[in-house]
Amino acid sequence: MAKTLIPFGPQHPVLPEPLHLKLVMEDEIVVEAIPALGYIHRGLEGLATRRDFNQMVYVVERVCGICSCIHAMCYCQAIEGLMGLKVPPRAQYLRVIWSELHRMHSHLLWLGLFADGFGFESLFMALWRVRERIMDINEATAGNRVIISTNIVGGVRTDINTGYLQEILRTLKTVEAELKPLYDTMMNDYTVKLRTVGKGVLTKEQAWQLGAGGPTLRGSGWAHDMRTLGYEAFHELDFEPVVETDGDAYARTKVRFREVFQSIDLVRQAIAKLPDGILAVPVKGNPTGEITTRVEQPRGELFYYVYCNGTPNPERVRIRTPTFANIPPLLAMLPGVELADVPVIVLSIDPCISCTER
Amino acid sequence: MMILGKLLLGVIGLALATFIGGFISGLDRKITARMQSRFGPPLAQPFYDVLKLWGKAPMAVNAWLVLCAYLTLMASALSVFLFFAQSDLLLIFFVMTIGAVFQVMGALSVNSPFSHVGAQRELLQMFTYEPLIILVIIGIAMHTGSFSIASIYALDTPLLYSMPFLYVALGIAFTIKLRKSPFDISASHHGHQEIVRGVLTEYTGRQLAMLEVAHWLDVVLLLGLCSLFWSTSAIGLFLLLAVTYFAELFVDNVSARLTWGWMIKRALGPGVALAMVNLLWLYAIK
Amino acid sequence: MINLKEWINKGRLKSPWVVHFDCGSCNGCDIEILACLTPVHDVERFGIINVGNPKHADVLLVSGTVNHRNKIALKNIYDQMAEPKAVIAIGACGLSGGVFHDCYNVVGGVNKVIPVDVYVPGCPPRPEAIIDGVVVALEQIKIKLGLAEAPAVHAVHME
Repeated sequence: MAKTLIPFGPQHPVLPEPLHLKLVMEDEIVVEAIPALGYIHRGLEGLATRRDFNQMVYVVERVCGICSCIHAMCYCQAIEGLMGLKVPPRAQYLRVIWSELHRMHSHLLWLGLFADGFGFESLFMALWRVRERIMDINEATAGNRVIISTNIVGGVRTDINTGYLQEILRTLKTVEAELKPLYDTMMNDYTVKLRTVGKGVLTKEQAWQLGAGGPTLRGSGWAHDMRTLGYEAFHELDFEPVVETDGDAYARTKVRFREVFQSIDLVRQAIAKLPDGILAVPVKGNPTGEITTRVEQPRGELFYYVYCNGTPNPERVRIRTPTFANIPPLLAMLPGVELADVPVIVLSIDPCISCTER
Repeated sequence: MMILGKLLLGVIGLALATFIGGFISGLDRKITARMQSRFGPPLAQPFYDVLKLWGKAPMAVNAWLVLCAYLTLMASALSVFLFFAQSDLLLIFFVMTIGAVFQVMGALSVNSPFSHVGAQRELLQMFTYEPLIILVIIGIAMHTGSFSIASIYALDTPLLYSMPFLYVALGIAFTIKLRKSPFDISASHHGHQEIVRGVLTEYTGRQLAMLEVAHWLDVVLLLGLCSLFWSTSAIGLFLLLAVTYFAELFVDNVSARLTWGWMIKRALGPGVALAMVNLLWLYAIK
Repeated sequence: MINLKEWINKGRLKSPWVVHFDCGSCNGCDIEILACLTPVHDVERFGIINVGNPKHADVLLVSGTVNHRNKIALKNIYDQMAEPKAVIAIGACGLSGGVFHDCYNVVGGVNKVIPVDVYVPGCPPRPEAIIDGVVVALEQIKIKLGLAEAPAVHAVHME
């Protein structure tokens, strides 16, 4: 059988990001997938030494535009840990609200792109229509649809007034009602199931040994969610990690869709329990020491290591993003699949190459 | 003089078909957009697309691509011409096939993996829809006694009454030819596909414009084949075509794209089975 | 009689096909570009389709900074497009490198590699701004084709 080489990317209609995979094919079956990264590498960790620790919040937000609020939150937690700052309770709850809204928009975005990846364009349009409502909430509360810059060292920079909190609850009710039929379609449609069930199977042991994270890990049966660590206001909220056991693309899709509903519930709980108080504590001086923090990003576990030496510029900011950890499982899933399944499997780990390469 | 009359019919039919085909394509996009809660492009959009493509600077990779684009367009035009001139159904079918084969050969002539995979998938699609159309034509011939279109217009009950299953088989073939989900396997209208634009990837500019017009003519031809099933009244014919086309759009919007393996197992298999059942029944009632 | 050139020009302005290349972007601009195709913004009304193939496209939407690795891919894609074509650089990163202009792997904005016709500022720009950018690009194509005069006052020249 002759081997052909199909270059997948860096510019490709299915993948919004430049990832280059050399697929070695034998008659439409992938034999080997050789990745080539580096198209988005900007080297922003190197910027840490040239910006001060407040400016780095804005740089870190732009590691990935989809989960930007969560990157900023993790970094702010690191600096606050180094400087011994205690974030006021209202700010903690507001951070939870914005990060859960981000999780919802990220998952809805991914669900739409995933549906588009196997040709179900109308589902893509319907999901992104629902996502627009969350973008409207972002814009009304923070001023921008994407990259909202609400986290600052010491707390949050702006408030959500009570009137708008009620509006958020009304919008979430509409979103939930609109998502229910889409959930039925995505999970129960015959053609969708044909394209996703049994594709890209990651067994429970493989997922753990290869270091998967987030829905990729939870879709293979591990109840591992960083939010259970209880950072910000999560220790006062009631939730369980969403787990599926099959380990295929269908299971991962189900985990993410159920997480959207879980986030709606978390935002409702947070709004109900939102305490009064100040928004941020004043920040004086410079951070010193080293610290690690981890949060749950929509794609998995986000891990920050920050080392500061008493000057305004941090000396080292090391970011380990979940997609970086999910790429070895992806390479283990690809051999033996059909060409038509490659975008489905690549998209099922929710790759965010700009997070990976920074 | 009969022949001159038929030739004139053919020419007028071809000219009308080009315009109507473009508007059907525009209507297709408009209704699809409305189904997706969007506004959609203006109805004349396909004409703007073709005009724009005609004006692009030439970037064809080799001369064979250009030749194949011309041949595909000529074959589609000839098959529509023959249809309106009420000629032989088998002849029309084979002319249409020649056009499709040249399109595939053009795609294979370029050293691009997407083009090659798209071309192979296009051949598999042809392998699926051609038996279905041939069985439909055989069914029509068994019923009317001849392969000529004129003999269908001599009947006084619509063909649909005696050949419903064959109509379903024709519907499956129509979905594949229209490149609608679940069968938009070799080249999708949406362009969000793992093989970029599949068999159409390497055709650019003027050649793509020609293939686009050829596609319109193919759609008109297949709608024409569908219209043969209700040849007795104009209103019935129009309704049948409207319902069929709307059903195609509906199926496109409620299903994902499937693989060629599924297409052969679940579309060719049952399609041929349905067609054979109908043919056996036609044979029995003779 | 039939003025084919006039009709072709009308077609060019009413049917700009877009190819999007994410050139080192953080995804913010990319998701706003994809949001343009979706129901609330719906650019298909203007005849814009996102074809994924540079050979079929008229307008190249580039987002993100150019770095030493993807500048080759970017030039490749630009060369594969047939004339008449336009390039739109989207977002602060595409204009000049944005927040990352002094990172070690970043070459700069898109105009360091290919000629840019329209710049859409923002971080990320709203979908409405991107649609406006495409409309301005159509004006630029009109000027290139000689159908309109270049404006007397030039936009701010970015160094």
